[in-house]
Amino acid sequence: MTKKTLRQIAIYGKGGIGKSTTTQNLTAGLAENGAQVLVVGCDPKADSTRLLLGGLAQKTVLDTLREEGEDIELKRILKTGYQGTRCVESGGPEPGVGCAGRGIITSIGLLERLGAYTEDLDYVFYAVLGDVVCGGFAMPIREGKAKEIYIVASGEMMSLYAANNIAKGIQRYAKRGGVRMGGIICNSRNVDREVELLRAFAEELGTKLIYFVPRDNIVQHAEIHRKTVIEYRPESKQAEEYRELAHSIEINRDFTIPKPMTQERLEGILMEYGLMEDLKDDYRI
Amino acid sequence: MAKILDKQRYKCAMSAMSTVQAIERAIPILHAGPGCAQKLSNSAGNSGFFSPNIFPCTSINERDVVFGGEKKLRSTIENSLKVIDADLYVVLTGCTPEIVGDTVDEIVSEFADNAKPVIFASTPGFKGNNYKGHEWVVDALVEQLLEPVPDSEKEPGLVNVWADVPYQDEFWSGNLRALEDLLAVIGLKPNTIFGHGRGIENVRKIPKAAFNLLVSPWVGLANVKKMKEKFGTPYFHWPTLPIGAFETSKFLRAVTEFAGLDKARTEKFIAEKEANYYYYIERFADIFLETRSMSKEFSVIADAQYALGITKFLVNDLGRFPAKQYIVDDTPAEYQEAVRGYFRDLNYGIEAEAAFGVDGYKIHEEIKKTDYHGYPLLLGSYWEKELAQKTDAHFLNVSWPVNERLVINGFYVGYDGGLRLLEDIYSVVRTRFN
Repeated sequence: MTKKTLRQIAIYGKGGIGKSTTTQNLTAGLAENGAQVLVVGCDPKADSTRLLLGGLAQKTVLDTLREEGEDIELKRILKTGYQGTRCVESGGPEPGVGCAGRGIITSIGLLERLGAYTEDLDYVFYAVLGDVVCGGFAMPIREGKAKEIYIVASGEMMSLYAANNIAKGIQRYAKRGGVRMGGIICNSRNVDREVELLRAFAEELGTKLIYFVPRDNIVQHAEIHRKTVIEYRPESKQAEEYRELAHSIEINRDFTIPKPMTQERLEGILMEYGLMEDLKDDYRI
Repeated sequence: MAKILDKQRYKCAMSAMSTVQAIERAIPILHAGPGCAQKLSNSAGNSGFFSPNIFPCTSINERDVVFGGEKKLRSTIENSLKVIDADLYVVLTGCTPEIVGDTVDEIVSEFADNAKPVIFASTPGFKGNNYKGHEWVVDALVEQLLEPVPDSEKEPGLVNVWADVPYQDEFWSGNLRALEDLLAVIGLKPNTIFGHGRGIENVRKIPKAAFNLLVSPWVGLANVKKMKEKFGTPYFHWPTLPIGAFETSKFLRAVTEFAGLDKARTEKFIAEKEANYYYYIERFADIFLETRSMSKEFSVIADAQYALGITKFLVNDLGRFPAKQYIVDDTPAEYQEAVRGYFRDLNYGIEAEAAFGVDGYKIHEEIKKTDYHGYPLLLGSYWEKELAQKTDAHFLNVSWPVNERLVINGFYVGYDGGLRLLEDIYSVVRTRFN
């Protein structure tokens, strides 16, 4: 049997953009096809695996470390969720205390020591919180763990601003290592000309819009039921969308070094694509 | 903070643990990694009631970084209070807890009711060097320990004296005692907090003083300003460490004027001391005049305090000519212009050029290329020893690091201090064939 090539993927994006929802639905899509996936939640809120596990089921690595020390078994922190996905939450210190960035480093280090990265894995996904605020949160890319980065964004300005910032972090590490940008995943917010805007933004950034996930209220329903859409309504249109997203990532071989843009250029793109000219001055919601 | 690759001439801010240690029966509690204190405790003369090897330290590790080191700090303070018999406990923070964001003030405030005071100073190395750290510790005393007193409790004639940074200046103890002696004779009651027999009692007297006397080009200026703000204590700033007759007499007259003291008394003292001083100068005039191997020009490579004090002494009292002077204490930009100005204010219309920098290599290369019109006279740190050998210079180790001489209570301040410096310089010069 030939050794599998493990793809380690980090998903970044502005806080609240839907990184963990997207990551979990996409991993559910991959797992459905028999892929072996490990999801490592790198957010102190520890909610990156909730939908795969049917709730906040496991103790975080850092809570375990704090209460029981390093001498623990992997199964204490690694739980199996939907379709055999393996789920870990790195967790973090209490809000406002300690260094969550260092927490992620510690936590991934511990996962490695405990043997979480087994040879049968096809994918490891790191769902990292918000922006790349400091070196600690860049850890999955900094230390060459994740070689493939996707940024979740929408047509909202602040999300593109954050995405551009994240691209700066990726560019820094790409120059000295193998880290590459895989593309932008649009988690639609139904803003004006969103697809065009995201395409133009991705192109300017030197990458591509890998998938456009439309907005659908079924996602909220599934979340309330602590499930991914694929598990909650496998036959729904949105479930199909996530399967398509999973497929796009599965076949993607187009990895680039991003070219972050200046604030002026970013705003220029927004001016160009971010307004519907025939709906001037209509601010109905 | 400036880049230092080698020839380090000061330490990081947490080295202000030495400032705490210089207050009798005060002990630092360090909130830092396990190596910091060890690295910072290499000055001479710091064993005693508390040696640096028993400073309590949280010795924080990765777990404390991730979850915050507050719990460990609390227990370290609690246990220090149990096992260490001190009068004052000063928590000092190193870099790591400051990056992680431990709220040290909150933890320290939990000990507000303790019989012996517990205060803290934020001293991460990335924020500054030990000259700044020294100021932050003094500020911590002013801000957290002391309260203003009503005018009726102010003591006429009581003056807080601030000069050297303990342990960074190896002569700190002797210099402070010499300053006290000078001030006492002209009618003041000097109050210092560092060294033997001072301690917390003198710290408590600070707000009662009639004024603060700062003898330093820039270190301590922030402190006396803060005390003016909090206690309403005026301050008198004398930038030059008075070494030798000329500067000491000038200093005493200026203090007499500022404090409204008896001028006749001061003049009488000056006359006596100068007569004594010049008696010795006269007796050894042959040596001073006939030692042909003595340098004509000199450079001091030291902090602003020593560079200025020694430059003034060598020009004004000894008639040497200044080459470039090198100030290596990373003087903050805001003070540099004033410090440069002090070097232009020498007798006989002479001005000295003062350069700020901490790059030992560049300084040494410059000195190598300078024509001193004879053997150079270099007064600096131990790092200048090798340079002196290469440039055939007379060399005296006066600034940190001081490695090959022992200073117990030696001093260069005052009339006698000037004679000591002459002894030290000529003891080097006379080793050369004349």
